[in-house]
Amino acid sequence: MSRYLTKRILGMFVVIFLVLSIAFVLVRLAPGDPASLMLGPDATPQEVDDLRARLGLDRPILVQYLTFLANAVQGDLGTSLFFNQPVTQVLAGRAEPSILLALFSLVVALVIATPIGIWAAYRRGTPGDQMSVTTAMLAASVPSFLTGLIFQRYLATDLGWFPVSGYGGPDASFATRLEHLVLPSITLGITNSALILRFTRASMLDILGEDYVRTARAKGMSERRVVLRHALKNAGIPIITVVGLTFALLVSGAVVTERVFNLPGMGNLAVGAVLRRDYPVVQGTLIVVAAIYVLVNLATDLLYLVVDKRVKY
Amino acid sequence: MIHRSSFRLTVAACALLAGPLSAATIDVAIIGEPDTFDPMVSTKDVVSIVTQHFVETLYTFDDSWSVVPLLASDMPEISEDGLTYVIPLREGVTFHDGSSMDSADVKASLDRWLEVASRGKGIADKVETVEATGPSEITITLKEPYAPLLSLLAFSNSAAAVYPEEIIAPQIDKVVGTGPYKLEAHEPDRYTQLVRFDGYTQPTGAAERAQIPDEIRFVPVPDPNTRVEGLLSGQFAYADGLSTEAYDRIAQSDAAEPVLLEPFGWPIFAINHKKGLMTDLKVRQAVQAALPFDDMMFAAFGDDKFFQTDGAMYPEGWAWHTEDGTDLYNQNDQEKAKALLQEAGYDGSPLRILTSRQYEFHYQMAEVAKMALEMAGFTVEMDVVDWATLAQNRDNPDLWDIYITHSPFLPEPALTSSFFPTAREGWNNPEKNEILDRFTSESDPEKRKAVFAELQKIIYADVGLIKVGNFNALQGKAAGLEGVTPSPWPAFWNAKLPE
Repeated sequence: MSRYLTKRILGMFVVIFLVLSIAFVLVRLAPGDPASLMLGPDATPQEVDDLRARLGLDRPILVQYLTFLANAVQGDLGTSLFFNQPVTQVLAGRAEPSILLALFSLVVALVIATPIGIWAAYRRGTPGDQMSVTTAMLAASVPSFLTGLIFQRYLATDLGWFPVSGYGGPDASFATRLEHLVLPSITLGITNSALILRFTRASMLDILGEDYVRTARAKGMSERRVVLRHALKNAGIPIITVVGLTFALLVSGAVVTERVFNLPGMGNLAVGAVLRRDYPVVQGTLIVVAAIYVLVNLATDLLYLVVDKRVKY
Repeated sequence: MIHRSSFRLTVAACALLAGPLSAATIDVAIIGEPDTFDPMVSTKDVVSIVTQHFVETLYTFDDSWSVVPLLASDMPEISEDGLTYVIPLREGVTFHDGSSMDSADVKASLDRWLEVASRGKGIADKVETVEATGPSEITITLKEPYAPLLSLLAFSNSAAAVYPEEIIAPQIDKVVGTGPYKLEAHEPDRYTQLVRFDGYTQPTGAAERAQIPDEIRFVPVPDPNTRVEGLLSGQFAYADGLSTEAYDRIAQSDAAEPVLLEPFGWPIFAINHKKGLMTDLKVRQAVQAALPFDDMMFAAFGDDKFFQTDGAMYPEGWAWHTEDGTDLYNQNDQEKAKALLQEAGYDGSPLRILTSRQYEFHYQMAEVAKMALEMAGFTVEMDVVDWATLAQNRDNPDLWDIYITHSPFLPEPALTSSFFPTAREGWNNPEKNEILDRFTSESDPEKRKAVFAELQKIIYADVGLIKVGNFNALQGKAAGLEGVTPSPWPAFWNAKLPE
């Protein structure tokens, strides 16, 4: 087990190294210059050159890359060109809204998807099953920005039940910040519930046809017990896999939803950084995203151990 | 600002712990995050809107765009030859760090402005000295007369801001100003919080900064629809940069009112005078002749409530308004353009239009222009890129023939950089330069107007740049909000919401 963990953690560093190297090259291959953007429309070419020199962007790309690597090893991801703050500080500021949004939307998705998925599998082929599958497809097909705009307009602006956007002002308490996450969480939860629903239904369908389920029924167990204790437990691995991947995706940036609701999360940060050519922030964001994916994958694999005692590493 | 009661379901109990927002807080939705709080080093409007509340200049503009004193106690004494400006300073002005402003601070600030600000650097070669000639007096000596000097000192964009001498450096990390509000907190992408500065003393020339709100919060909201929803829901007392499609919805709302800046500014086809096709006058004239400005403005803005087809560089009602030269505006004559191209010996090389969809109206105008230019015989190549790429590529004259931009109507024509040969467009016509020199050195306002008419005439005759028309901008305010003068750079120190 410890050997397995060591191997996975070493693999994580390799992935992060590759991601940051690719990111470093890609952001610099993109046209566009941060200095021109920072100085505004009336800046002269000389001013732009001066700022590029001050930011170190005029140095050979290899020198920039090696400097970046050397600093990154020491935990220094550089300074944001736009915010003039350490990248680690900028990223830390985005952690709370992103993690909470991911958690809440996952809860919303699970609350919607799991019972319906189980029920649809149990009622396979009935109109109820067909309807749940169709609804799941519909939810997956409607883009989150549209759902978000509809919720924003009717539930926030017209009815005033929720804040329209943002994450609260300087005096915002934790409760106020949570209030700002309600609509985005529901929006994202609905969108992501479709995938989890389909996976839950498919896994349950497989399991419900297994011999041991038939045996459990033959032994006179109640249907509730058969489905929830025997079938659901064994359908857990594929569901955990998709839930884990969904969570990683949500933490690393629900770009569109964060944009619509103006949440200062990782997704909004990443889009802004790309548009502003804030290279250090783009690189830092990608490193964090890679780390989240690797860690969530690892956590998912470890969860298999809990769910299925037959799994060994 | 009034904050409506909101969702109280699952977090109802916790919400009781949330602090009530002060009714004297003005929340303003702005289009993005200001990347600096030092207005000397930026020409971005969003930087000006925020920083004008805590950083001040010697002069400012009143509601009719006349220059009035702000940190100066009076208008300057200008020598007869127009070379010496003696500026008296207000006494008892305090910086937010508690220190008092004196002439040493002003001299250090102006010296920095001449070194680091694009507008300051633009006139640095005309300035002989900046001297502190008394504890409350500053003297600027010029090498040649330069009439727009006071406008430059008054402008909040690339501003001649006054800072304490102690913080002056090429890059200032923590800005200290004298304004009616001071910077309290800044959470990137969430808010910039300004609080009332109790040590503020009112200016003698500019309108009172009554410091009515306790706090002003600028909230960056990049999505225009989210700004509209925030305004209509009562989350924001004011919202900048709204889409004109939202006008009717805001007008029909009880919660908010539209604020139409009429006119706000002018879309520009900036011309590459340094290299390529457009260095040929006949080709420039052909482009000017071919373009259907009314169609372009309609495509871009959709409703004549939001634009005017007007060739004058300044609209009616402005001191600089003149119709001279505008007979060449909106010709929409592709046959004439064809003939001009023939005279130019045009070989079918592509005319490269550099534009972006950052501002959708730029792109929409370019699409219509492309059709008209092709009808006239041009081969048109549209280079549609993101704004970051455009900002880089426009500095390289090898990459474009026309790029599309826009500007608000600036209070002083000399603030428009495109008129000068040093701008990236490189319009270096000797006759125009001579007119421009006369314009900037003439101090008599009436004579300046006459010279500006000459300048406008040559803009059309030589096709120095192409003005497409006038467009209006839409902002929005909470119903009953008073004390905010509509402007490209709205200020909120007098803002008052109904109880």
